[in-house]
Amino acid sequence: MTKPGKTNVSRRKVLAGAAGLGALSMFPAPAVHAQVHELRFLNAEPAIDSVRALRVAAAQYERERRVKIVVDTVPVGDAYTRMTSAIRGGKPYDIGTLIFVAHVLSLANEGQLTPITQLVNKHKWGKRILFPINGEQYWYMYDYNLCWLFYRKDLYDQLRLEVPKTWAQLLENSRKTMSTSGTQRFGITTPVGSNDATNWMSFGYLWAEGVSLFDDKWNLTFDTPEARKKTAAYLDFFAELYKTMPPGSTQISFGNVLAQFSADQAAHAPYAGRLIEFLEQRAPQLADKYGMMPYPDQGGRMAAVNHGYDGWVIGKTPLAEEAVRFMEWFSDAHYINFLHSAPLHFQPPRLDIYDDPRWRAHPLIEKHAAAVKQMQGFLEDPNIIIRSIDTEGPAPDLRPAKIFESWVLPEMLQNKVLKNMSSEECVAQAVAGMRKAIG
Amino acid sequence: MRSRYDWVIWGFLLAGLAITTVFVLVPVLHAIGLSLHSAQSFIAKPVWVGFDNYARILSEPTFWRAALNGLIYAGGSIVLQVVLGIAFALVLNNAFPGQKLVRGLAVLPYLLPTVVVALTFQWMMDGSFGLLTALAREMGFGIVPWFERPGTAMATTIALSVWLWTPFVTVCFLAGLQSVPQALYDAAKVDGAGAFSRFLHVTLPQLRPVLTVVVLLRAIWMFNKFDIIWLMTKGGPLGATEHLPVLAYKRAFSLFDVGGGAAVATLSFLMLCTVVAIYFRLFPLEEKK
Repeated sequence: MTKPGKTNVSRRKVLAGAAGLGALSMFPAPAVHAQVHELRFLNAEPAIDSVRALRVAAAQYERERRVKIVVDTVPVGDAYTRMTSAIRGGKPYDIGTLIFVAHVLSLANEGQLTPITQLVNKHKWGKRILFPINGEQYWYMYDYNLCWLFYRKDLYDQLRLEVPKTWAQLLENSRKTMSTSGTQRFGITTPVGSNDATNWMSFGYLWAEGVSLFDDKWNLTFDTPEARKKTAAYLDFFAELYKTMPPGSTQISFGNVLAQFSADQAAHAPYAGRLIEFLEQRAPQLADKYGMMPYPDQGGRMAAVNHGYDGWVIGKTPLAEEAVRFMEWFSDAHYINFLHSAPLHFQPPRLDIYDDPRWRAHPLIEKHAAAVKQMQGFLEDPNIIIRSIDTEGPAPDLRPAKIFESWVLPEMLQNKVLKNMSSEECVAQAVAGMRKAIG
Repeated sequence: MRSRYDWVIWGFLLAGLAITTVFVLVPVLHAIGLSLHSAQSFIAKPVWVGFDNYARILSEPTFWRAALNGLIYAGGSIVLQVVLGIAFALVLNNAFPGQKLVRGLAVLPYLLPTVVVALTFQWMMDGSFGLLTALAREMGFGIVPWFERPGTAMATTIALSVWLWTPFVTVCFLAGLQSVPQALYDAAKVDGAGAFSRFLHVTLPQLRPVLTVVVLLRAIWMFNKFDIIWLMTKGGPLGATEHLPVLAYKRAFSLFDVGGGAAVATLSFLMLCTVVAIYFRLFPLEEKK
């Protein structure tokens, strides 16, 4: 019964109404979600500027297209494991970052990637940066991470040294730039440990000499008499160079190389553009005192840079089409912003970028224009070989990847410099190790 | 007669069994299943190969080298941890000014995340500017090749493991020491026993139950220890510190050989089970009646 003067609303009616509203509110929800897709993006560039660049792009895309981009960031070495775990867990990433060609091959072979040949073919790309699998492109490369040699230009001027064109000249310069007065400076730093840094930084000399691992028919060319001889000569040279390196080379990785060059503890160091960025941030007094050169060969005829690369893939997910649309939009509207998050380390693989005034306008790219020109020159100079263990052979394949991951070549170096084994024996063991790795 | 609290006991038992099944039994069975298949990745369709992976792995010298490395690493670490752990516990069991503070500090290494310890020691042992490297040089040892030689790499890794996990052993023994009745020491003193004799005939026998458990736990943990070795050496140089967990990881996650990695892990598991079974036989946890 309702009391006079009161509204005809009982507690029961209020509760029933609230419950009804609650139930109703559940129905429009799926409709809204159906309009706003959510793409999952696995980023493996954890530097804060790179993450920010992706988040800014994601926010703008959501505003413009009503598609939400969720960016997960992992350390670069964990990207593939995270991708496969996500697939196994039933929530595959729509877009992912991969840094190893064998991982792309593995995912493509399992039917987990969407081909993006059309998108890739819209642009002109640099040398050896595309890795088609069965005629399709699965990888949108966003940078080169070529590895070359840095040297201290001020020391070269002071000691009147010339930029080396041969192993002997580099060895001589490395010896001459050593110093025991004040803080001890070593001639060169190079990793020789069982790690990826050694695979990336220590074999450019071998590529410059024309040594390869496989030919177009997957024969192990490393096992030819000529390659064995050249590799043995490289090991003899490296053993001498090792005497000019700081102690503890087996533990040296990427960060140590940066630290040693910028702290005046090594006059030469292998790296990519990251070293210049590091000098700008941590040792600005050296930021205009470096020079760059490719790895020399024995006779001064050829030179090489070690290959390095990173790229994005599109997963085979229900939102793959939307992901491709995002990549297309991103590569036009925000790709340069992303490149600017590591302006000298993310060397553009798309050749149109080098002429883009937006890219060139970054202060560090302007300041280090000569270095950038030289980096571009590595792609154009026919006398410079771009090669790496993992990209050897006529097509993406697990064989070079297995040689890379089994650390056969770093162990060849260790046999030489740590165990003082004869160069021929080191090469023989490496050949045996490669054959075992590839089965 | 059944207690009215039986349902609580059964509840805990079933919950424990469920958790063990989900987080231990299923993964172990899955790994054993994988070891009987060939697969290049965790998303690839596995192909049944029976015991081929085991035959292949057992015929490889790298497996036996890794097994030996594991024994050296685990054995060396356990012996040093136990010896030092007992010594520290004996010191900390005595009353001295600041005893509580020192006890607290002694546990500190065990509380640190392994990755922090690994990075810190990597810098301290850096060949050119590491603190320990400089200290060794100043003391006339020259440049110590911490990780440059197979032998020193193993020794350094063992030393680091001892630094990191001895506090656990110390704490266990310290607890054990505090339960030893003072009357036993007093009686031994009356009988004319010296300090060493008291340690040998009173302390050690009293610590035996703790010692049995601690050695067992440390053996299991050190034999399976992956993080510190991977962070410090990745199994190098020249495979000198590559033990079975590192070998299993490399095969499964780097060398596109999931079946081979699972076979290594299964063999490692079986070896550990065998050793533990023998250990229980030799040192039963419960005193024989």
